[in-house]
Amino acid sequence: MSHDALGAALAAIVGERQVLVRPSELLVYATDGLPGYRKQPGIAVFPRTRDELVQVVRLLAREGVPFVPRGAGTGLSGGALADGSVLLGLNRLTRVLSVDAENRLAVVEPGVVNVHLTRAVAPYGLHYAPDPSSQAACTIGGNVAENAGGPHCLKYGVTLNHVVALTVILPDGDIVTLGSADGERDGYDLVGCFVGSEGCFGVALDATVRLTRNPQAVRTLLADFTSMDAAARATSAIIAAGIVPAALEMMDQATIRAVEASIYAAGYPTDAAAVLLMELDGLEAGIDVDVEKLRTICLDGGARAVRIARDEGERTRLWQGRKKAFGAMGRISSHLVVQDAVIPRTRLPEVLRLIAQIGAAERLSVCNVFHAGDGNLHPNIPYNANDPDESARVHRAMRAIMRACVDAGGSVTGEHGIGLDKIDYMPRIFSPESLDAMCRLRAVFDPARRANPGKVVPVRSCREWTQAPATR
Amino acid sequence: MRESDGSGDKMLSGGGPGAPAAFRSPLRPRDTADVADAVRDAAALGVPLRIRGAGHWLDAGRPVPASACVLDVSALRGITEYNPGDLTLTAGAGTTLAEIDEATRANGQWLPLDPAGATTATLGATLATASCGPLASALGLPRDLALGLEFVDGRGIVVRGGGRVVKNVAGFDLVRLTVGAWGTLGVITEATVRLRARPEAECTMALDAPRETGTLALLLRALREAPLTPIATELVDATFRAGNGDRGSDAVLVRLAGNAASVAAQRRHVESLGTARELPASAWDRLAAADPDGAFTVRISHRPSRVADLWHAIATATAEIEGAVRHASIERGVVRLIVPATAHEVVAPLVRCLASHASVLGERLPRAAWEALPAVTDRLSRGVRAAFDPHQILNPGLLAPMA
Ligand SMILES: Cc1cc2nc3c(=O)[nH]c(=O)nc-3n(C[C@H](O)[C@H](O)[C@H](O)COP(=O)(O)OP(=O)(O)OC[C@H]3O[C@@H](n4cnc5c(N)ncnc54)[C@H](O)[C@@H]3O)c2cc1C
Ligand SMILES: Cc1cc2nc3c(=O)[nH]c(=O)nc-3n(C[C@H](O)[C@H](O)[C@H](O)COP(=O)(O)OP(=O)(O)OC[C@H]3O[C@@H](n4cnc5c(N)ncnc54)[C@H](O)[C@@H]3O)c2cc1C
Repeated sequence: MSHDALGAALAAIVGERQVLVRPSELLVYATDGLPGYRKQPGIAVFPRTRDELVQVVRLLAREGVPFVPRGAGTGLSGGALADGSVLLGLNRLTRVLSVDAENRLAVVEPGVVNVHLTRAVAPYGLHYAPDPSSQAACTIGGNVAENAGGPHCLKYGVTLNHVVALTVILPDGDIVTLGSADGERDGYDLVGCFVGSEGCFGVALDATVRLTRNPQAVRTLLADFTSMDAAARATSAIIAAGIVPAALEMMDQATIRAVEASIYAAGYPTDAAAVLLMELDGLEAGIDVDVEKLRTICLDGGARAVRIARDEGERTRLWQGRKKAFGAMGRISSHLVVQDAVIPRTRLPEVLRLIAQIGAAERLSVCNVFHAGDGNLHPNIPYNANDPDESARVHRAMRAIMRACVDAGGSVTGEHGIGLDKIDYMPRIFSPESLDAMCRLRAVFDPARRANPGKVVPVRSCREWTQAPATR
Repeated sequence: MRESDGSGDKMLSGGGPGAPAAFRSPLRPRDTADVADAVRDAAALGVPLRIRGAGHWLDAGRPVPASACVLDVSALRGITEYNPGDLTLTAGAGTTLAEIDEATRANGQWLPLDPAGATTATLGATLATASCGPLASALGLPRDLALGLEFVDGRGIVVRGGGRVVKNVAGFDLVRLTVGAWGTLGVITEATVRLRARPEAECTMALDAPRETGTLALLLRALREAPLTPIATELVDATFRAGNGDRGSDAVLVRLAGNAASVAAQRRHVESLGTARELPASAWDRLAAADPDGAFTVRISHRPSRVADLWHAIATATAEIEGAVRHASIERGVVRLIVPATAHEVVAPLVRCLASHASVLGERLPRAAWEALPAVTDRLSRGVRAAFDPHQILNPGLLAPMA
């Protein structure tokens, strides 16, 4: 089918205005949250209902056309980029289909914005626990596809731990139900396989997610350190002491200063080398005992001061600074690489030192703002992507940082996914056999490899792909 | 294919008289490379393998081919990496839960998996069967605690999924794929798991539960909504209590945890909900040992709000079975029913009856009862099986249908 004919066939399903075919209109869909890549889709289509979405996927299946699902496009690994293929926009499927407050479950369409779900269930004293910093924009479908995390995932777990069931349309148009909210079933954990599959296993039509009770008591603390090292050691000490804060985030001086210079100024001390933003939650009874323990560990570990938010307003302000830190950094330069890697928590001090050295060697300023309690680093680098020399230095530094994290026994991504950006790192952490096993798993869901082609696992790793194409 | 009579483990030794010489007695690989060799050879010759950890719960009574050769992975044993500060632990598949408990206890930590049965159960089997107990609702199912796995697939290929860190989204999820697959996609050789800190203080309370369904439902709801942070909340029946010298009605065992001040406040709250008294922590060990030898066990589950109804329906359906025991994880919505071996002929009709109320999952059943439960036959499950065990030699007869 020609480009025009496909556009017309899609328009027949969803209406003219829901289909973009002209390059000028498609420009905005050539990037996601990650700078440095531009891949323009050939067509973008935005179904408004589940029924339209199903018809669109089936049309694409009949025509053998590759497609890329896209939620809000806030992804940070280039996962939602479509290179000439069809971009399938899911951001108009925004209904919360049902809430079962007693059983703490909600069924949502894929385009529901993360924070909208929490708002919708607030009247029941519930919330949706995974809270990526992008929660005001990103979609549940995108969260499911990336297995997104967030500050409060330290205590409450990541997206995977909150998805109970999914309805998925497979790339060939078949609709399958994975998991069940009505009791446990025997069989393979296909929900677990789909979560984090980065759009390569099909399109989530709806998700049944677990809701979490709002805690009775919350305490938010800010500890201020004169060295990164001390903040890192305090983090390791808190984890080792067996305290499970709801969140334990670190921000370094560069981040603090960017935040304080922005409209999100949170009152962080700008002369601190690093701060830890910590939250304890749970029952009112006994919570202040744990607050005291946390405070003592920080002070013993060299904190200059530990501030405890006095009221909801102060708490919100402290969090707003953290959640908008990427945005604040984005203001200080034209581009920002947001990096994502994980290391064992006991290795934080040494790896942070290494990262600082790598940045210095490449004459770059690295801003760290990250989920310290999980060992999930985000070393970010503000730069100018139009300066080839600076870009080259950024790329070298990123590679060196990734190597340091892998060498420390870590992973190249804790929550942002592999997408396009990290695909070359995959052979560094997985053997050819393991990569091939991933290809085999993908082939079960999408034997034709039409869903989000070219992402996550390098094509050359897939043996069947190179040796025996189209035998099934 | 010859089938065993469903009486289970004793049938499973070597590959039987028809098997090639190398497969006539159990295989005992010492490391991953040995496992890979064994599976590769078995695949080449089409010899089915029965993977064995400690062997407590091999086929759950399912109709499995008796011709399978035992692949005993218990020698892949030992903790290979444990850094308490990271709260992660890596161990061979044959490592027992007791060994892990001992190593981690010294640091005030634990792997909070408390499945029914002895703690001589192996880590590999516990993950392969997704086994867990009352702690799972608060502290995580096996899928939530497994961080990384090494396994040998049905062609003898060594595969690693996940990693050793607590957060990781690199690549498609081979860990979730293998956890709960009952060894039909691969032989687990090593696993990395997430540990948790043991609670600073704990207290187990038994709260008497009313007999009438509506009132019970209200109590369970009140417990789920109460200002409590228990690490286990388990409804147990009077038969279980009586068996433990604890006469009285059905009761909810609540395992309160937190710091001392928090536990004291929670205890007062539980006491305000009805007649409650403290039990020693060993009550949980007794619950894990509630399955007598040869007993049959099913899990009946639905949404948590349905637990009281299920509890009642199961009591009615088992009223005539002497010694039947029920216990339920109220937060997970799972009722576990244990039927003594003597009642084996009623299990199949019982399972059929229960399946009309809710989701029924067999743990250990007589063969006829397995046939009353639906096999896993959906397209994706079949595809996964074919992709990871194309010759269908790994644990044939378990989970996925035989070829
Ligand atoms: C400022 C900022 C802060 C961030 N903070 C965090 C954070 O704290 N934690 C975190 O984990 N991430 C964070 N992110 C990254 C990003 O927000 C998450 O990855 C999010 O889950 C992406 O959701 P999205 O709707 O924007 O998806 P998109 O970017 O549109 O798509 C992401 C991937 O999901 C696939 N996809 C989308 N919808 C579906 C569907 N319905 N079915 C199947 N596949 C689908 C796409 O194909 C693509 O591969 C942040 C991003 C920004 C810009
Ligand atoms: C009678 C009885 C009933 C039980 N019922 C339940 C229950 O219903 N729910 C529950 O949560 N726990 C249950 N358990 C707990 C059980 O002890 C553990 O779940 C554990 O699986 C047993 O460990 P094992 O080493 O003895 O396993 P084994 O009996 O050796 O193996 C159990 C199963 O796992 C497979 N397997 C073993 N090792 C591996 C491996 N390395 N890789 C892949 N597959 C492997 C075996 O092939 C077998 O199918 C029960 C135990 C008993 C004794």
